[in-house]
Amino acid sequence: MNALVLPHPEPKSTSTLPTQPGVLVVRKHHFLVRWSHWLNVPLLLGLILSGISIYWASPIYQHKPDPNTGNTDVAADIGIWICTHVPGLHHYNSPPDWIYNHVSLGPGMLAPALRLHWLCAYLFVLNGMVYVAGLVRGGGWRSLLPRRTDLLDALRMFRYYVGFPFAKVARRQWPHPVFNTKYNALQRAAYFSVPVAGFLSAATGWAIHKPMQLHWLAALFGGYNAARVWHFWLMWIYIQFVVPHVILVFADGWDTLRSMILGWSTRVERSEVVAHEG
Amino acid sequence: MKDKKNGDDSLQPTDGPLTGVEPKQETPESPKAGPEGATPSAPIAIEKPKAGGAAEQRVDADGCPSSSGDHKPRTDEAHPSVAAKSVSAKKPQSFFAEQTPLAIKVAPRILRYRSRRDFLLFGAGALAVLTAGGCLLPQDTLSRIGVPRKIDSPGKEWFLNRALRIDDDVAEALYSGTRILPTYTKSQITPLKNNYNGATPDPGYISGWKLTLDGLASGLSISLDIRNLLSRFSVHEQITRLVCVEGWSAIAWWAGVRFDDLLRAYPPMSQAKWARVESSVNLDASGNPDPYFMSLDLATARHPQTLLATHFNGQPLTVDHGAPLRLLVPMKLGLKNVKAITRITYVAEEPRDYWAERGYSRYDGI
Repeated sequence: MNALVLPHPEPKSTSTLPTQPGVLVVRKHHFLVRWSHWLNVPLLLGLILSGISIYWASPIYQHKPDPNTGNTDVAADIGIWICTHVPGLHHYNSPPDWIYNHVSLGPGMLAPALRLHWLCAYLFVLNGMVYVAGLVRGGGWRSLLPRRTDLLDALRMFRYYVGFPFAKVARRQWPHPVFNTKYNALQRAAYFSVPVAGFLSAATGWAIHKPMQLHWLAALFGGYNAARVWHFWLMWIYIQFVVPHVILVFADGWDTLRSMILGWSTRVERSEVVAHEG
Repeated sequence: MKDKKNGDDSLQPTDGPLTGVEPKQETPESPKAGPEGATPSAPIAIEKPKAGGAAEQRVDADGCPSSSGDHKPRTDEAHPSVAAKSVSAKKPQSFFAEQTPLAIKVAPRILRYRSRRDFLLFGAGALAVLTAGGCLLPQDTLSRIGVPRKIDSPGKEWFLNRALRIDDDVAEALYSGTRILPTYTKSQITPLKNNYNGATPDPGYISGWKLTLDGLASGLSISLDIRNLLSRFSVHEQITRLVCVEGWSAIAWWAGVRFDDLLRAYPPMSQAKWARVESSVNLDASGNPDPYFMSLDLATARHPQTLLATHFNGQPLTVDHGAPLRLLVPMKLGLKNVKAITRITYVAEEPRDYWAERGYSRYDGI
């Protein structure tokens, strides 16, 4: 319905800009990136919930049987600890299952958990390919590549976050470090690591799932048992990523959240005006 | 890193007016143009001639608005160096360098229309995915989180089983009859627990034990005792890993006769593709008879590392490990490694499988 966006190669003079009607927007995320981004939410949730149910069947972290309870599972110990120390949970009927009852599909559900895990895992891998395709087609991958200056810039961002609450309390100015890139160094590190973690999760998943036919893959991670440990800890990368990710998106404002749904932003600072539309 | 410049701060000011003017403007051409403009080379090509000049221009361009709003003193003392770097970086962009985003001017009406449409699409999609995903959760989980109704449609079972079958097909595609699985040394042996699902049978069955073969080419039913087996076929040893569906595994030293040798000595009927391997001595948790039956494709049965094991750690099998004869298929999950086999039947169609009937997969290749 609209004319195609045509780049206007002639240099524009800024003085004319405010007089033209319309809103300046800049494209932010390719639609494949946006779709696959959001699909990760149910997929990762399904993978983690079913994954912890699978973990229940044979926990990696075990100890000698407890003399009182006969319990060997560290996750069950944590459940017992929670039920003794958290007010209101003293009468919880099965403290060893507390963790499994709250962050998994439930204990004793290996078969349904495996079924769901395979389903989500195949979709997660497909979704990851869609995400990468979106990064390539939209050129967004360039914004995720680590740079030489990242270490220093990440420290600046870190300093900013650490000092932020104090500056707020002291009512001091605490300016955000300036970057003329789509993401700051900490964001870049996070957004770069998560796809890498996704790849490693899939690889360790295959190593555990097919340790005979793909035994070379299991060997790459240090063998079957080590691959299970890798797979378990890779899950924590997503959890550690998601919590600050969600908090910071809301802190950053509506424009940032909206751009992941609609694909454009009104933050045009870094951009060049090249096209008119409408 | 390209065009880093102090003018950056001015961004906030520029942004302010814009968003202020049109607080809830919405979708531009972006969703559509994104994919189209996505021919990555095109914009870049146009960009190149401009990149140098435009960036420079922008410095003063942006400088103007920033000076107009005397909002705050420059905060970035560290920037001169970066700015200097940007000058040198203003050469033609490298393939890996971040592209300068292109701002598009869109009529507010169009932006609103597109935004509304995309928000609705997003909401509908999210709702659909949530509903579908929620329905796929096991019934036990649903009732625990307080879903009152039973969501147990045949479609759900069909869909989840379909996913299982796809996974089984992948496993079958990965299988190779000639790939030899890793073997280990005696120093790598780890303890193997008795994981009988129900009660461990009373050893009384061992004295009268016989292996019965059915579905043979000869049309006969053959019975063999352990002495027949050991005297007819050569014994092979292997130290392999047994992997349980639960996740644990054990490296164990086995000895026994090759399933392949048995298949050659007593060939199955020509149309047979499967073996049904059965243990009639299996018990359930309360000690009642609970025959165990399992499907095994003949391609796996013919693998040189598929044994009918008679010995464990150099000793005849104990009851715990399936005396006097158990199946050893290290390329399958442990649950296919039937203990105390009493009957093998060759059939054309995939036979029933104890654990597949309890929600696990059927092929179980690992």
